[in-house]
Amino acid sequence: MSKRFLPYVINLGLLVAAVILSLAIGSVFIAPADLWEILRNWLTHRPLPAGLETYSFIISDIRLPRTVLVLLTGAALGGSGTAYQGLFRNPLADPYLIGVASGAGLGAVLAMSIRWPYSFWGLLAVPMSAFAAAMLTVLLVYIMARVGQTVPTTNLILSGVAFSAFATALTSYLIISSQGEVRRALGWLMGGASQSSWQTVLAILPYLVIGLGVLLMNGHALNLLQFGDDQAQQLGLPVMRTKTVLLLAASLATAAAVSFSGIIGFIGLIVPHVMRLWWGADYRRLLPLSIMAGGGFLILADILARSVMRPQELPVGIVTALAGAPFFLWVLRKSKNQGYW
Amino acid sequence: MFRKAIITLASLTLILAACAPKLPAATEITSGTETPATPVTYTDGLGRSIEMTGSAQRVVSLTPATTEILFAIGAGSQVVGRDTFSDYPAEASTVTDIGGSMGKYNTEAIVNLKPDLVVAGGINPPELVASLETLGLKVFFLSNPTTMDELYARIRIMGNLTGADSGAEKVVTSMDAKAKEVDAKLSGITDKPVVYYELDATPFTAGPGTFVDQLISRAGGTNFGAKMDSAWAQISLEQLLVADPAFIVLGDSAYGETASTVSARPGWDVLTAVKEQKIFPFDDNLVSRPGPRLVDGLEALARLIHPEAYK
Amino acid sequence: MEIRALKIEALTVFYGKRCALQDISLEIQRGQVMALIGPNGAGKSTLIRAASGVLPIQSGKIRTNGDEFTSLAPMQRARCLAVVPQAVALPPAFTAWETVLMGRTPYLNFLGQTSDADEAIVRHALNRADALDFADRRVGELSGGEQQRVLLARALAQATPILLLDEPTAHLDMQYQVALMHTICQLAHEDHLAVMIAMHDLNLAARYADSVALLVQGRLEAVGNPNEVLTPERISSAYHLPVQVVQHPFQKAPLILPGE
Repeated sequence: MSKRFLPYVINLGLLVAAVILSLAIGSVFIAPADLWEILRNWLTHRPLPAGLETYSFIISDIRLPRTVLVLLTGAALGGSGTAYQGLFRNPLADPYLIGVASGAGLGAVLAMSIRWPYSFWGLLAVPMSAFAAAMLTVLLVYIMARVGQTVPTTNLILSGVAFSAFATALTSYLIISSQGEVRRALGWLMGGASQSSWQTVLAILPYLVIGLGVLLMNGHALNLLQFGDDQAQQLGLPVMRTKTVLLLAASLATAAAVSFSGIIGFIGLIVPHVMRLWWGADYRRLLPLSIMAGGGFLILADILARSVMRPQELPVGIVTALAGAPFFLWVLRKSKNQGYW
Repeated sequence: MFRKAIITLASLTLILAACAPKLPAATEITSGTETPATPVTYTDGLGRSIEMTGSAQRVVSLTPATTEILFAIGAGSQVVGRDTFSDYPAEASTVTDIGGSMGKYNTEAIVNLKPDLVVAGGINPPELVASLETLGLKVFFLSNPTTMDELYARIRIMGNLTGADSGAEKVVTSMDAKAKEVDAKLSGITDKPVVYYELDATPFTAGPGTFVDQLISRAGGTNFGAKMDSAWAQISLEQLLVADPAFIVLGDSAYGETASTVSARPGWDVLTAVKEQKIFPFDDNLVSRPGPRLVDGLEALARLIHPEAYK
Repeated sequence: MEIRALKIEALTVFYGKRCALQDISLEIQRGQVMALIGPNGAGKSTLIRAASGVLPIQSGKIRTNGDEFTSLAPMQRARCLAVVPQAVALPPAFTAWETVLMGRTPYLNFLGQTSDADEAIVRHALNRADALDFADRRVGELSGGEQQRVLLARALAQATPILLLDEPTAHLDMQYQVALMHTICQLAHEDHLAVMIAMHDLNLAARYADSVALLVQGRLEAVGNPNEVLTPERISSAYHLPVQVVQHPFQKAPLILPGE
């Protein structure tokens, strides 16, 4: 096994293990023997014994779409977090740096303050509004940060901070003055796969494929950008165009993920760092590894969120921070990689 | 450039919607009664038609008010699952807990109970209803009533759905009677003192149109919160000082607020209600859950505000 | 398309409202080393940035053999002209080898896949820059001088006929300053490169450069061979310091000494 492939194999292995755990664990206890029986019957297309039908349904219709949705969300966050950190050359960058989260939150809460009809479009109002508001915010942040022909990184960050603060304040105001939508709004903002169905997966899949696909093709470009705009350009990279494409692609993936799953923090910030500590700072590897690890970590967090206090379900954003922070500190301490950044 | 961006944004958003959740069809579930019954169609709070054949024998309740209603009308044995906060009556605590804190319900547990009807309430968002229906469950959305008559209608519907029609009728009759009894006792009152009902220590009070507002009014008081703009209104001490309510009712006593904590608040000692120690803890569930105990709340408020009528 | 020289014609560059470079005209032939000298703030770094296509130009042209440089795509420009910047704020996590490999970018596909030929070029470049010994160490662990050599190797790996260097001797010890200038001269003369070095050490410039350009406050005060340009009058007025210029005792170059 060549050393080059080792990180991919390990990450993939962890991901598969996480998926299996996610299908096996839930608030309803399904014995391993039953699990095995169900899996066998699926693979061999045999009908199930009567008692196991409900369990099979739980796995296939609740846990499986949820696992896939969580995987995609985590992958989007891991990938875009990596891209943002590379783009801004800043270890504190995360996918929400230039306003995706605050924009999405405002869009969602705005939509929640209106009584939509219970219909196809009515049910889509909140995620669509969140998505549109997120992308609009990124656009405005970008336009505001432009100086002539360039978009300086510092300007982007400052513009993003300003818009985020504004949007967050507006959102808070809307929540406080709402007619009882507080619970719903806070639940959405804290994140969690509440609307996890195959249709949701299909809805966000194209954006993730496009967004993450573009990012994966720009690993080398991100490496070059680490030397600063001048040197990257002198080495042959069309810097403005590349930065714009990267920003858009990362924001697209994040916005799609956030619009159905709410704001899940920490993954986009920490997963790239863990990958860097373990596997090095080459973005050509970092991107695919962070995408896989983001999916895996979020699945694990989601498992904890729904089983640690059963039958209650914690918002997964709380679990990612509570469990993620100590884990990251442990990784940081154990790492011999000084100057890994 | 801005216009192009908006158009692109709009198209992107529409594409996002193109493959997104479709409205699932309400499924028909046979109820398993001995006598084959004809399907009856009900309209729920979201305007949808819910078809029931026979009465629901395995009901999951997603809100405490619904649980109280179901037990009160005599359908308690048909409740197989309830949300975490359903704490009344005592028998409800033996029913399987299916989550519900922070708006997150345990869909696995709900599915595992194999219910033939799930009753959602006003606090449940439409997304939740849709996701439960995607799993093949039949969901009836019981929207929040705004008047006593609307509440009675909901109790009756619960009776229809569970086959406890006569039990529901009894509950409605006794509630109406009790409410009218309070009206009678208060027929001779001469004033309607200002009552400040505290929902939260920030402080928040109940605004106009809420049941708290209506019940205080019917109990012979004037709700301080009636002049606010929203149902859940944050107030300032200044307004309270100007209104100088005769009574402070602590709906947040479950969170630790007592007469002494209120008296200790800086600036509150000037209020008449504090000086005369007319600060009363109150079980908020009696006035905020749209269920059978609302009339108990009414009576409790009446006794509190007009003790002279109950001598 | 054989590039024979870098021609800068009437270049004017503005930083906002301030004129940073005014009407600069220079030509550097292949095989020549031109030293760009002048006090700090004169515009040396600005000229290098503008010449490499990173700064927008107000007016004037940069040509490589007839082609207007700025009309080329960044990738094509990177095949003509390489820059050795100052070794400041380099990403510390990449190894020296990986950093030099970045120099091959103009010849790689967008995924950055390298071949054995690229690796051989990188090894050769590291060798020329005397940096092969620490090729596998992280840049963050290297000293200023070592980092500078890595950057030189990177520019060499870029295999361009034109090389611009921005104060490469700034952080180096004496022996490395001399070694670097020696290497650069060798590169220019043997590999036939057109080299422009911005530097502040006048004596090094006098010793190693074929021609010298004196830049003061954005204007080109003089350009020509070292003896012509490095006169006491010019240097004193440019640096606001009286200097004496004598003939170097054992080298054919002027020697500039501060003081009366």
